[in-house]
Amino acid sequence: MAQEIVTSPLPGKVLSVSAKAGDNIAEGDEICVIEAMKMENPIVATVSGKVTEVSVSGGQALKAGDPIATIEY
Amino acid sequence: MSTEEVIRDYKAKRDKIVQMDQKTLEKRHASGQLTARERVDYFFDPGTFTEIGLFVKHRTVEFGMAERDIPAEGVVTGYGKVNGRNVVAIAEDYTAMAGTYGEYHGKKFVRAVEFAKDMGWPLVGLNDSGGARLQEGIDTLEAYGWLFRSQIQASGIIPQIALLMGPCLGGQAYHPIMQDFLIQCRKTGFMGIAGPAFVKTQTAEEITLEELSGWQAHAVKSGQTHVVAEDDKDALDKCKELLSFLPSNNKEKPPRLSTKDDPERVVPELDTLLPEKPSQGFDMMKAIKLTVDDGYFFELMKDYAKNCIIGFGRFNGRPAGIVANRPTWAGGVIDINAADKMARFIRFCDLFNIPLVSYTDCPGYMIGSGQDWQGILRHGAKLLYAWADATVPLISVMLRKSYAGAHYGMLDKSIGADMVLAWPTALVTIVGAETAASVIFAKEIKQSENPKETAAKRIQEYREIYENPYKAAERGYVDDVIMPSDTRKMICRNLDILENKTVARPWRKYSNINL
Repeated sequence: MAQEIVTSPLPGKVLSVSAKAGDNIAEGDEICVIEAMKMENPIVATVSGKVTEVSVSGGQALKAGDPIATIEY
Repeated sequence: MSTEEVIRDYKAKRDKIVQMDQKTLEKRHASGQLTARERVDYFFDPGTFTEIGLFVKHRTVEFGMAERDIPAEGVVTGYGKVNGRNVVAIAEDYTAMAGTYGEYHGKKFVRAVEFAKDMGWPLVGLNDSGGARLQEGIDTLEAYGWLFRSQIQASGIIPQIALLMGPCLGGQAYHPIMQDFLIQCRKTGFMGIAGPAFVKTQTAEEITLEELSGWQAHAVKSGQTHVVAEDDKDALDKCKELLSFLPSNNKEKPPRLSTKDDPERVVPELDTLLPEKPSQGFDMMKAIKLTVDDGYFFELMKDYAKNCIIGFGRFNGRPAGIVANRPTWAGGVIDINAADKMARFIRFCDLFNIPLVSYTDCPGYMIGSGQDWQGILRHGAKLLYAWADATVPLISVMLRKSYAGAHYGMLDKSIGADMVLAWPTALVTIVGAETAASVIFAKEIKQSENPKETAAKRIQEYREIYENPYKAAERGYVDDVIMPSDTRKMICRNLDILENKTVARPWRKYSNINL
């Protein structure tokens, strides 16, 4: 199984998290929403597979490139 | 020799160069690749390819090279028609001493580049080479310099497209990277400053060729590949598609096609495209595809700096470069990579007389230490230079946010737009209302009995006064506020009237763009 680590494309604050470890997820499904630059930025799965880890929680501050979730596919 | 013998001898000589033994051919096909000559045949309109320099031969004697016959010096060069228009091609032949680059191989390259420049025809390079022919020492080193100089001298005169169909590693990779567009084959195209073996001996880094130099390295990570192709034929097809948008040289306009798509077509779907909340994204690609002819948009660099979109489309048959934000990716901000991606594209379009249309929904240039320390200011400046220097027709469509630096970065009246069209949903001002109110009324909000209520009131006040398209329209910085459904109609009309735009400026060498 290959692993894909979804990372934050920009710094910001986690507004909500909609995926959890163990979830089956499809490419394009929302993992969490990051608030930055006056925008709610949905972070979506880049591949379809199974979420093995979600590394963020609501309110957390993120830097660009920080890991958000790991997907096995 | 009798004339008959002379001709027989000529034919034998020619055949020896052109013909490939069956075993080599089969090996080539087994790898899913075509030979250089097959690629050229597939690329050009049937029967139009005319070769130049078939008999060119190296003159190296060292290291057993005297006995080495290399068909066509490892590179097929010539010209022909692509959809009826002349194009020059350079196709490296990996089956001929691995397509290695030597003195005369290089001379063929330079001859083709200069020929293309003199004729005013686009140049297409099919890269597939084992790199420098080390047996030739300084002769091969110097020959790379001839190529680089010649292609740079041709830059901005003729469009240059690189196809990465095989390896192109080492200094030679400066050849494709300095062309205007780069199309990389997903499984067979590799490019890099050095291959994995050299990287390992010099830096102890262990990495595979695929990871170091493959399509993801450049289409996703480095932002150097514009288009990823599935195989040889797909790469050549995509190259032809790209050529259809381009003029043959910088003195011509891009070819206008006839279209059945009504230039006055109204697009009702656009009136409901935007969500109620300005903090939520929407599908910018939909806005682009619904406005261009036949929904046909040729996107470039789609996997890199996804917060912006660049590519070609047509309006009423006229090719145009389209530059847009993608609000569903990092809010559509302009960061360093997005600025670089858009700026070089704008400058290409300007060099080749291709009008530009921008679709804006951008909260601003990206802020914070990460971007500031990497130089967002100097990278962001490239966009401002690109717009202000441009002399082609420039149309700006403001869909929603047009704030602060991004107001100019995405093209506004002050930086050079010929026509600015704003949707009723446009927010055209220095900063968002919340930020503005928190600064202007900081003291008042802090000292009030109910700070939250006061802040809300002041935000609303600022919003009503400034956060809309009308204040800018009152000043004439927005030429008209239009219904989103009329966007295509208005772009088509404006490109019509701007067809013969001419700009006269005092002589200078060039502007000092922040490279």
